[in-house]
Amino acid sequence: MGPNLAKEFTYTIGWRSRGRHPGRHASTQRGMGMEFRGHTTLLSYPDPRRIDLRQTIRDPLEQIYVRIFNQKSATPVFVLCDLSGSMNFGGHQRKIALAASITESVAQSATHAGDPFGFIGFDENVREDWYCRPSLRPHTALELAASLRDYHPAHVGSSGLMEVSRYLPRERSLLFLVSDFHMPLPELEAAVALLLRHHIVPMVLWDTSEYKTLPEFGIASVADCETGAKRTLFLRKDLRKRIVQSFEDRRKAIHALFMRFDMPPFFVEDHFEADALTEYFHQFVTA
Amino acid sequence: MSFTTPWVLWLLPLAVLPLLLERTHSRNYSWVAMLPSDPLSNLIGLMLKVLAVVALLFIILGIAGPHSPHQHEERIGVGAQIALVLDRSASMDDPFSGGTNEGRVGETKSVAASRLITQFVKQRKNDMFGMITFSNSAMYVLPLTENREAILGAIKATAGNSLFQTNIGSGLTSGAGLFDKVPDSGSRAMILLSDGGGRISADVEQKIRDWLDRMDITLYWIVLRQPGGLSIFDKTYKPPENQALPPEVELYEFFNTLRSPFHAYEAEDPKSLASAIDDINQKEKKPIRYFELIPERDYSQHCYFIAALMIALLLSVKYLEVKTWHSA
Repeated sequence: MGPNLAKEFTYTIGWRSRGRHPGRHASTQRGMGMEFRGHTTLLSYPDPRRIDLRQTIRDPLEQIYVRIFNQKSATPVFVLCDLSGSMNFGGHQRKIALAASITESVAQSATHAGDPFGFIGFDENVREDWYCRPSLRPHTALELAASLRDYHPAHVGSSGLMEVSRYLPRERSLLFLVSDFHMPLPELEAAVALLLRHHIVPMVLWDTSEYKTLPEFGIASVADCETGAKRTLFLRKDLRKRIVQSFEDRRKAIHALFMRFDMPPFFVEDHFEADALTEYFHQFVTA
Repeated sequence: MSFTTPWVLWLLPLAVLPLLLERTHSRNYSWVAMLPSDPLSNLIGLMLKVLAVVALLFIILGIAGPHSPHQHEERIGVGAQIALVLDRSASMDDPFSGGTNEGRVGETKSVAASRLITQFVKQRKNDMFGMITFSNSAMYVLPLTENREAILGAIKATAGNSLFQTNIGSGLTSGAGLFDKVPDSGSRAMILLSDGGGRISADVEQKIRDWLDRMDITLYWIVLRQPGGLSIFDKTYKPPENQALPPEVELYEFFNTLRSPFHAYEAEDPKSLASAIDDINQKEKKPIRYFELIPERDYSQHCYFIAALMIALLLSVKYLEVKTWHSA
């Protein structure tokens, strides 16, 4: 913490939290909230502070009634971060560094909202060394995010997403799935299907140097960050146009896939704007 | 095809290294599968590898030093195997008898002979020529060969200053010796060009007769007559009392006793010499068969050239390489 705080955003969740811990989200827990839920007798809910005199007087059987309220509860917030090789790519900032900024922002926002924050990193497996259990104190997560900036992923894929669900609580949580989603769509779909218990915000990290700002002309030999597969590219106007087209098609395909699960993807290109994420929650998540 | 250092060829498998090893200085890309397939790029990628393989291949081949083996090739020529036996005796430096009529005053017999024989050789494109000159003894100049430049050069050399005397017997035996190791083409001729004759001892005569017969050599004798000298065809000539026949007449009579064909010509001037040579030209026109040694040819230069070309192409691709790709 200190002066270099990441910019925060506000978020809401579209369901009633079942968490007991007081927080800011609508909850199913009875407690010291403002949301009136109904009446019950003092015998079943022995809280004399909440005796409802009016309802007590009106009862011919002369029982004493208390009001019941729902409290506001906390809900766990997780960042699921892709640590695969492709996250090492980036023009002026590596995607993994961008993911670190997002993690910092989410961690502070969640802490501010009183929600426990956890971090799960995965590449081909869930990385236990990049796992941070949900906590109301964000220091561990912030330290993890800081070291994430200097992390150079190995040449590995991102199939560990399939296992992430085992590390998540049974409670419905808010998940920020940070990845470039450079993985086969059927694999992605299968992994997302395992996480449907939770609310997922897909954050798609792309880099303009991947497709928009390719070199104008020339021959380049490229190697895949994950598989190491090599190809020779003869970059020219026609090929660049087709690469951009291919990425636009991919964007549509990713959008279509997540919209089937009713979770609009949030595209991040080069820079993370916390305000845009606030806007995203206003737009897509009805409290 | 054979190689100077064949063991270098064991290195040939190294040439496929570019196919097995990947380029190390490639740039990272997040997901290559996202890049649309591009046949032109793939072709260039393949070409680069092929270029590298070919360059290595030809460098190794070049080091191995390929050359074609030297070989004996049978060639069939139309013409004859002709041994030129030229007189280089001092008298050949005398002017021709008919020189004044021709307007070639001062042309010596040797110069005229070399000039006309040069023409003769030039006319007969397919003949093999050998050459012997003789004065005191025979001088071996050229074996039977088809090399025109060599024979023309040799003839040119005979136009120079002459030497000493005339030893026809030695010249003839050496001339016949030229045919010794050469397969018989079926048309063999020896042109003896001399001015006047020389005496030949009896055993040399026998030797000449045997050799010419055994090797089936036609002898053409062109006598360059001394000005006002005696003709060998003069049947009426009677030598003075107590003296032997002149050497050329004696020689002529000996030649007439040969079992092999013999023709004699007498030339008084370049013109008659030319007609004599012309006549020989007409007579010797049979196909000949002979073997020629073809020297080995070295191909390593070609290999290096191809390799250099490939490397130049690779360098030009290097020049086209993208240098401004921002990737972490």
